[in-house]
Formats: sequence, C-alpha cells, structure tokens
Amino acid sequence: MMETITWVALALVGFVLLAWYLTYSAARLDRLHAKVEGSLAALDAQVIRRAESALELGTSGLLDPATSLLLVDAASHSLERAGAERAGERHGSDLLHGQTFSGREAAESNLTEAFSVALTAETLADVRVRGGVAAEEVLGRIEATALRVQLARRFHNQAVTEVQRVRRKGTVRLFRLAGRAPLPETVEFDDEVRYQA
Amino acid sequence: MKVGMVCPYSFDVPGGVQFHVRDLTEYLLGLGHEVEVLAPADDDLDLPAYLTSSGRAVPVRYNGSVARLTFGPVTSARTTRWLEQGDFDVVHIHEPVTPSVSVLTLWATDAPVVATFHTSNLRSRAMQAAYPLLRPSLEKIVGRIAVSEAARRTVTSHLGGDAVVIPNGVCVDDFARAEARDEWRGTPSAPTLAFLGRIDEPRKGLPVISAAMERILRDRPRARLLIAGPGDVAAARERMSPQVGAACTFLGLISDEDKAALFASVDAYVAPHTGGESFGIVLVEAMAAGAPVVASDLAAFTAVLDGQANGRLFTTGDPDSCAAAVLGLLGDDAERARLRSAGQQRARRYDWPVVAAQILAVYETVTQTADAAADVEETGLWSRIVRPRRRSEGGRG
Repeated sequence: MMETITWVALALVGFVLLAWYLTYSAARLDRLHAKVEGSLAALDAQVIRRAESALELGTSGLLDPATSLLLVDAASHSLERAGAERAGERHGSDLLHGQTFSGREAAESNLTEAFSVALTAETLADVRVRGGVAAEEVLGRIEATALRVQLARRFHNQAVTEVQRVRRKGTVRLFRLAGRAPLPETVEFDDEVRYQA
Repeated sequence: MKVGMVCPYSFDVPGGVQFHVRDLTEYLLGLGHEVEVLAPADDDLDLPAYLTSSGRAVPVRYNGSVARLTFGPVTSARTTRWLEQGDFDVVHIHEPVTPSVSVLTLWATDAPVVATFHTSNLRSRAMQAAYPLLRPSLEKIVGRIAVSEAARRTVTSHLGGDAVVIPNGVCVDDFARAEARDEWRGTPSAPTLAFLGRIDEPRKGLPVISAAMERILRDRPRARLLIAGPGDVAAARERMSPQVGAACTFLGLISDEDKAALFASVDAYVAPHTGGESFGIVLVEAMAAGAPVVASDLAAFTAVLDGQANGRLFTTGDPDSCAAAVLGLLGDDAERARLRSAGQQRARRYDWPVVAAQILAVYETVTQTADAAADVEETGLWSRIVRPRRRSEGGRG
C-alpha cells in the first residue's frame, strides 16, 4: 500500500516537473519567435529607408542621367517588393509574418550592387562639389541607412539561429511546442556597399 | 536615449574595458543622451556622477588572469534596483559572460540588451559547463558587438551565431595634438624606440624587444629604448644583457599626456606582444600621435594596421624578425614619414565620433526590434496559436 502511494507521489512530482519544464520551454520559444518577428520588422523598416535614400539621391539631379536611372530603378524595385508585401498583408496572406523575407533578397542585393557601381570616387567628388551641404546630407543618409541594414540583418539572423536551435531540441519536437509557427529562415543578401576608389 | 551601461571590471583600476566604457559614456553624455554606468567600485571613492557602484570588487582568478569583480546577493539587489530606477531604453552590457555585474544584469533585465564582447580568449571549459544555465539569458541579447574580428571569432565558436564588429574608440584628437619632447626625440645617429606595457608580463613582449635590441645595438650603437609601464624595474634590468640595459630608460607608469608625447617623439613604436591581444588600442593611439608602428603579426594587430599598409609587421615572438623590421624602418626616412601620415589617416576610423555613431545605430536597431517584438507579444499567445490555422482556411476559400 505504502509503496503504491510512494509511486503515485513520485509520478505526480515527475508530471508537475515535466509540465513546468514544457510551459517554460514554450514561453521561451514564444519569446524567441516574437524576437524574430521584431527583428524582421526592423530589417524591413531599414531596407525601406535605404531604398528611399537611394531614390532621393537618384531624383536629386545631382547625378548624371544614366547613374540616376540605375539607382532609381534598383530603389523602386526594392520599394515595389516591400509595397507588395504590405498589400498582401492587408489581404490576409501575410507573407511577411515574421518568418521569411519572401524573396526580396534579390532586390536588395541588386540595390547594394547599384550603390557600389554608382558611387565611385569620381561621382562622389562631383556630387559633393555640385550639391554642397544638401549632397552631404543625402550621402550621409545613404551611409547611415546602409549601415543600419547591415546591423538589422545580422541581428535578425542571430535571432533566427536561436529559434532554430531551440526548435531542434527533442522535447520541443516531441511535444510540438512550436505549434504551427513556421520555422524562420535567415535572410541572406549582399548588404556591403563597396565604395570604389 | 536612456542607456544603462554595465562594466564587469572595477572602475578603480585601469583597463581596456573600463576606459572604453568611460570614454563611450562621456561621449554619449556630450551628445545629450542620458547614460548611467553600473560597475564595481569602492563606495568611498570620488565617483563620477554617472557611475553607480555595484559593490566593492574582490580580486578573483578568472580566465587566466586576476580580475576585480563583484557578485553575491548585495550586488544582485543593487543591480535590480539600478535597473528599476534607470528605466532604460537600452541596456548595454560589456563582457556579458563574466561572473560579475554583467551576468547579473543580463539575468535581471527586461530592457532590450546590447552586448559587447571584448575578449578573444574565453575559456571554453567554463563556458561549456555553464552554458545550459546561461543560454536563456543570452537569448535576451538583441544586438551583439565584437570589438575585433578575433573577438568575433571567439563569439562565433563559443556561443554560435554572429556579431557585428565595431572597434574600440580612441580620442584621436588628444593624441594628434601631442607635441614631441626633446628628451625622447631621436636623432639620426641615436634613434629612439618606445615600448608600452607591464614590464613583468611576458605576453606584452618585453623579452622579445630586449633580445632584438642586441642586434639593433650592433647596427645602431646609440639607439635607445624607452620603456613605459608598471612593474619591477630591477628585476627587468636583471633579465637584460648589460649593453641592452644601458640603452633602456624605464619611465614607469605614465599619464595619458606623457604617453601621447612619447609616441609623438620616437622614431618607432614597437608592439612585440606575443598573444592574448584582442584589439590593440595602443597601436591606434600610437598611429594617432604619428608614431611609425612596428608590431608582431598577431591577427588583431594585422587587422588594425591593415597589413603592412600602415605599419611594419614581424613574426610574433621572433627577436631577429623584430630587429630586422626595426632596422629596416630606421634606415628609411621616407618610409617613416609615409607611415606617420598613413597612420594618422588610419587612426581616424577609430575616432570616437565614428565609433559612437555605429554604436548608436546598434541601439536604434535594437530598440526598433524590441518595440516590434513587444507589439507581437501584445497580440497574445492565444491569437497567435490560432491565427495560422485561420489563414490556411482563408487560403483554401
């Protein structure tokens, strides 16, 4: 009799511990998922600002028409893709939903390349001479937004790897603690603007 | 922006991390941000207004050297109170895995966290044992900064994931303004070299430059080595040969102004460190003051000098290689002049305005992430669990 009670008590303690651990893990995973959605929203915002700063320079009249066209094309492509995401979200498809960058990577690599090709030392010097203070402001904005895109992408990918690691754990998979949340993916595009000498 | 800065090492003793925290804090205060620092310090000392002491530090052996740290329930309570009263937009923790206020803050905070990793030699044994315990806390870090590629590699291999590299800052103008002093200035026949660092810490490389001096004196008998740094002078002299000892001048621990003047005076600054250097801020200081730099080819130093573009490198720990590099530079006036100006250019990228702007960009990105994540969490767990199903039904319809 005593033995049975002991076993029941032990089982109960084990069950409570397991329940606590599962709740704790689920909450932790939930926090990590929220962080991923947050960092993706931040990346999204920075990417848009970078494209806007490119558009600003492209339409400022400080560049020659060919370079302008190149920059404006890359920038508006990036903004169009961002806009498409927003429209999709309104219609309930919610592609962004914190998990993937839904194929916008190519547009962003393209804009990075456009910056690298357009902003040669000659062009920069020319823009500075013709534009004065206003040019400094636009160029400063491009540099600042490009840096923020790099930071946001790094931090986002960091958050994604944390979610991926926790979701690989046996208990998380066995008890389906992630629910129906899709597994986030890292966002990979070229974000390093290379100013040519 | 309201920033809470946490430094694990005692503010009473000089050190790279402490100087970085102090200079960054003062620079950000100058820009009009609200910054407060939590660090171990003696309560009865005159503390700067921005500093809150987390308690008196005790010397502890950790990660291969003696560090002055605080821990225990009092520190823990002070940390919690500091966080509550500060109500920070961002908490910036330096060396987050040090057993001191850093790890306690990481444990206690709800604010978005930025963490800076300074060291390039984390001890992996301790790390691996403590990891399961630290993991959930480390996940609070939204933005990771490493001060060098070496520090970033340490983060990547020990913690996994990645970090952005933002170097330590230097008050470049303070060094650039320094003027040469006659007693330290070299002449073509009697050139002067500078060495900085603890003289009884072999890692700083005094034995290497002492051995190299033997060869340097054979070619340049009147060369002088100016040694600035604390330590036992008599014992250091004993380890040198008589000729080398005669060519050395021990300056002891010198002030920042004296250091800048020393760099501005000498014909070359020699950095013969043999390891354990994550960044090499002293190289940047030397470059800023216009000293041609001759350094061992550690990864951190190679990165700061950008290869041979802004200095001369020699094989780490090899006195012959060191002597050859120094003699080559002493015999080439044009190259020394080139390095003086190239170094001053190079140092600009470590200037506080440049570095602080990058750190502020990190703060911005991190608060943005945290705000967006808070919005997500506010929608409630339940709605997030059921939402994906609703969406897939909508897709079918």
